[in-house]
Amino acid sequence: MDELYLDNIDEFVNDHDKIVTYKWLSLTLGVHVNTAKQMLFHYLDHKRKESSPQLHATYLVSGKFVDKGQPGHTVSVVREDQLEDLKAKMSLIVSVHVYSVQKALLKDSGPLYSVDYDAVKDNLKSCSRYSAIRCAGAVPMSTQELQQTEREPQRAPSPELAAKRSGESKPAPKPSTKPQRGIMGMFANKAPAKSQESGKEVKPEQRGDEPMAVATKSKPAAKANPAMNFFGNQTSKKPDKAVKEEEAAAAAAAAAAAAAAAAVPSSCAAEQRHQSSPPEEKQEAAAAAAEEEEESPKDAKKDSRSKTKRIADSDSEEEKMEKKKRRRIKKPQPDSSDEDVIPDSPQQKETREPSPRPEMEVESVSHSHQSLPGAKTRKRRRVLKARTFVDDEGCIVTEKGYESESYSEAEDDAKAAKRAPADFIPAKPPAGSREDEKKKSQKKTSANASKGSKQASIMGFFQKK
Amino acid sequence: MTTLTRQDLNFGQVIADILCEFLEVAIHLILYVREVYPSGIFQKRKKYNVPVQMSCHPELNQYIQDTLHCVKPLIEKNDAEKVVVVIMDKEHHPVERFVFEISQPPLLSISSETLLSHVEQLLRAFILKISVCDAILNNNPPGCSFTVLVHTRDAATRNMEKVQVIKDFPWIVADEQEVHMQEPRLIPLKTMTSDIVKMQLYVEERAQKT
Repeated sequence: MDELYLDNIDEFVNDHDKIVTYKWLSLTLGVHVNTAKQMLFHYLDHKRKESSPQLHATYLVSGKFVDKGQPGHTVSVVREDQLEDLKAKMSLIVSVHVYSVQKALLKDSGPLYSVDYDAVKDNLKSCSRYSAIRCAGAVPMSTQELQQTEREPQRAPSPELAAKRSGESKPAPKPSTKPQRGIMGMFANKAPAKSQESGKEVKPEQRGDEPMAVATKSKPAAKANPAMNFFGNQTSKKPDKAVKEEEAAAAAAAAAAAAAAAAVPSSCAAEQRHQSSPPEEKQEAAAAAAEEEEESPKDAKKDSRSKTKRIADSDSEEEKMEKKKRRRIKKPQPDSSDEDVIPDSPQQKETREPSPRPEMEVESVSHSHQSLPGAKTRKRRRVLKARTFVDDEGCIVTEKGYESESYSEAEDDAKAAKRAPADFIPAKPPAGSREDEKKKSQKKTSANASKGSKQASIMGFFQKK
Repeated sequence: MTTLTRQDLNFGQVIADILCEFLEVAIHLILYVREVYPSGIFQKRKKYNVPVQMSCHPELNQYIQDTLHCVKPLIEKNDAEKVVVVIMDKEHHPVERFVFEISQPPLLSISSETLLSHVEQLLRAFILKISVCDAILNNNPPGCSFTVLVHTRDAATRNMEKVQVIKDFPWIVADEQEVHMQEPRLIPLKTMTSDIVKMQLYVEERAQKT
């Protein structure tokens, strides 16, 4: 290996005052991470022999560690002065290597993460190009598979798992809070668990957290949530020791990452204590999948739940009043927005078609109630569709539809029966049920309402009847 | 793609907001790195997606926020040339000065394509640089305090004296001894140039600190 790299590192460290981590070096010079680690080691050795201005280094130590009687695998980033201490504490040392070299004595581990952040972000797609961790099965999911996992309901396992993990993790944060009570106790409203300043014991672990956060965050982000990235990639990896390290550390790192949900950090703290093993991997995967699914169907389910509540609560008379009120409010709404809405409506309809019928019925009935902006626009859209249909029929249909809306669904049913055969709208799946007729009649009525809004004066005349 | 100019309603405010947020984080970080206050009062928080140290002391935080609240209108109107964080020893002689030179291009216009994520990246680099600046600076004597000075154009100073932006938080013209330092050594730290602002950070350090 030529000696140019020594000059390069020298330039970075001394001239630019950079913190040179092995990952940053490997991405900058385009070499494998193990080569980068060796380069840093040689450089450090070289400089120490030459006794040039003082350099500081941090090391990554991973190995088996018995923490209060519980054996576990720990990965820590420590300063040089703490290195021997930590090595003595570990029961078995799996690997020790140089993590970074810099001129400044770092007070905390924050900058180590910042250093890698931009380098990894620039190479996001290929950040594991030089990585030593490989798994042939780890490929990004295709969009079909993604949609399948989103649809499968796996919410039941996640609350149980969350409960389990939160129980396990409680002992973990407590020891870390005690050292901070001294100064932090002075400030009333602060959460002591978050402070990491005092307590050397806390430091090595935390330092381990953040650089690992760097390491694992570098994996290509197929999904939006970064915590999911950790697990999505981790679970498919072969259970090598190195991988286990990464998992344990990734678990710990996810705890440090602010974006993780409550279930995830508790699992992580627990992970650090226990041996990682396939069952835990599955838990992670399930939690990961569950969390992801939670987020997407949550919105739809929330909407449907709130709508059913509304239906249960309202009276028919209230419906009348609300319809009247809402109609008045709706009138001033600009019609141009209807036109803007037209292109959206076919897409909206397509997405709603696959959803189960009760939801659709619920939604349609809900149009008679509250003023959700979404509901309002939906109603308007159906109005538009109906309007085109109605044009073929003529004015008579519009008048009727308008009136029926001002009363209640009771009217709708009567009128719907008459109009059902004529009013078949192809977009909705046909059915002989009353609910469908209700829907159609409401569309009619809303169509008429909007038409009425254009011809306010004429409609007002008829309304007084 | 809309193009905003300085005359547009929120544009100056946007830049002032960004810069004041950044200055708040930078001041906290300087206080942490230069050990002006014991490290126990600092807590790790996240800004620009990286960990930074912010203080939890309520009065200190309030002081810094009030200071920047008063500086914000100056930045909005592009009146502030420099914002200086001065670290002084017990006799109130400046020991170190962290100077943020801010300049905004006069005919400023941004399009919606201007990605503020690029600005975020540049500010991240500043923060990283402040974190490692203790490599190049000598240690400060114990018992230091800090203050924030703003160098502005003439008219703006008079306005500031007339109008108290925050009640009971007056700004006064700085003493000569706070502004000038004996035997300063200039150490540049970082420069950034972007569409919306140009900023330079350098440190003036007194040759003999104790």
